[in-house]
Amino acid sequence: MAADNTKPPNKILLVEDEFNIAKLFTYNLSKVGFECQHANNGREALAMAHKNKPDIIISDVMMPEMDGFEFRKKLLEDNELKSIPFVFLTAKGAEDDILQGFDLEIEDYIIKTSSPKVVIAKVSAILKSLEKERVKIVDEVQKAADTMGAKVVPDDAPIFNGFKIKQWHLPFKNVPGGDFIDYIKIDDDNLVIILGDVMGKRWGAWYFAIAYAGYVRSATRFVLESGKKDKPSEILHKVNEAVFNDERISEVFITLSVLLLDRKNNVVKYSGAGDLPIVYKSKEAQLVHSTGLLLGFNKSGLYEDLEIMINSGDEIYIVTDGITEARNKEGELYGHNRLIEFVNSILPDEDPIEKMKNEILSFSGGELEDDVSFIAIKVL
Amino acid sequence: MGIIEEVIDDIVVEIINLERATLKEADQLKSMINDKIEIGYKKIIIDLSTVEFIDSTFLGVIVSTLKKVASLRGDLKLVGFQPAVRSMFELTRLFRVFESYNDLQDAVRSFTN
Repeated sequence: MAADNTKPPNKILLVEDEFNIAKLFTYNLSKVGFECQHANNGREALAMAHKNKPDIIISDVMMPEMDGFEFRKKLLEDNELKSIPFVFLTAKGAEDDILQGFDLEIEDYIIKTSSPKVVIAKVSAILKSLEKERVKIVDEVQKAADTMGAKVVPDDAPIFNGFKIKQWHLPFKNVPGGDFIDYIKIDDDNLVIILGDVMGKRWGAWYFAIAYAGYVRSATRFVLESGKKDKPSEILHKVNEAVFNDERISEVFITLSVLLLDRKNNVVKYSGAGDLPIVYKSKEAQLVHSTGLLLGFNKSGLYEDLEIMINSGDEIYIVTDGITEARNKEGELYGHNRLIEFVNSILPDEDPIEKMKNEILSFSGGELEDDVSFIAIKVL
Repeated sequence: MGIIEEVIDDIVVEIINLERATLKEADQLKSMINDKIEIGYKKIIIDLSTVEFIDSTFLGVIVSTLKKVASLRGDLKLVGFQPAVRSMFELTRLFRVFESYNDLQDAVRSFTN
């Protein structure tokens, strides 16, 4: 597990007040590739757990300020931390501690005097079995999604004459999330590109993303059939109306960017609902801000169309907040200034998708906190 | 750290005493506010003065609360924006739909006037 070099190392939070034992455990666990953090008591550990979200917690029982049992109880009361696997460190023969520990839903216990090999084997086994469980559940969710024919992101961007379109989508922790992408070809000259982000994360958002993708598709068809082919804002008006009146999703909000590529007239029309600005690069990259409100919030969402006259070589990039809100180790957000700098640094023959993958994964150290979606459009 | 709730007359004030307001705290805020709305409160103030970052889930709760109290003829007002939070509200154009104040007293006064 720890030696798996495709993933960041597993983080262990060790809670132990005896300096020598802490040093010994930290040394041995770090040696085999775990990232080990150390807290002196439960109180310190609770703050560290909140900040760093460890993959597993190993805690002593007897400690000053807040002992192991109290620390464990506090974790169980906390929705965000309660499912982190927890292991007690106990003295040999402390049967009462062990039994009380299992009452507090611990994964296992380790006798303090165990050899380093035993400790490493136990920690690895726990992490491995949990990873297996997670893979199984994700697999089930994905199977369910496939059975429903519900794909929120197509496998590839379409081939469309006169443009080169590429996409990158990375769901949060590989579980289907709240971002969705759609491409609707109106005719040989017009293509609609849609990028949506359902507010919220994880599985709940995934269900809504499917529902929304359906709304957007049917609204788009409706608008196109009613002859208003040249107005992305009409699509937003239509979706907004449907969503606003639907009680079942009255507490779900969504941002949406809709772009219409019009090859014949060399224009891109853009309308957005609470979405992040898109990036347009002719010579220099610049942000283009839309005006509309989040979908479903207000009966009239104030959607307007912006027109960008395009020339050969121009580029347009659409992102969701998984990119702009990625954080580095110092806690700084990636933000729009870095995005602009990044887009300016893309050379004409470079692959923007590969470059963005490297950029954002190295910025965040591989630890992303949301779905990431990135669409790159180049005018040929 | 956490969310502190105060009631001033018929106004519920939720002080978000956190640096990062995210998914977990969003659930907590939602249930705290819903409990108050259920017993008849519809004037709400959310104080974000100490918040340095707000994610889209937390923002979603604020937005849905405004929609809910507005339908009851109440209102939700915001207090204190740090730069990153301000830019989040600007980016999503929500600035236009929330009344916001620099300090809590002004927000309370706006309800009582």
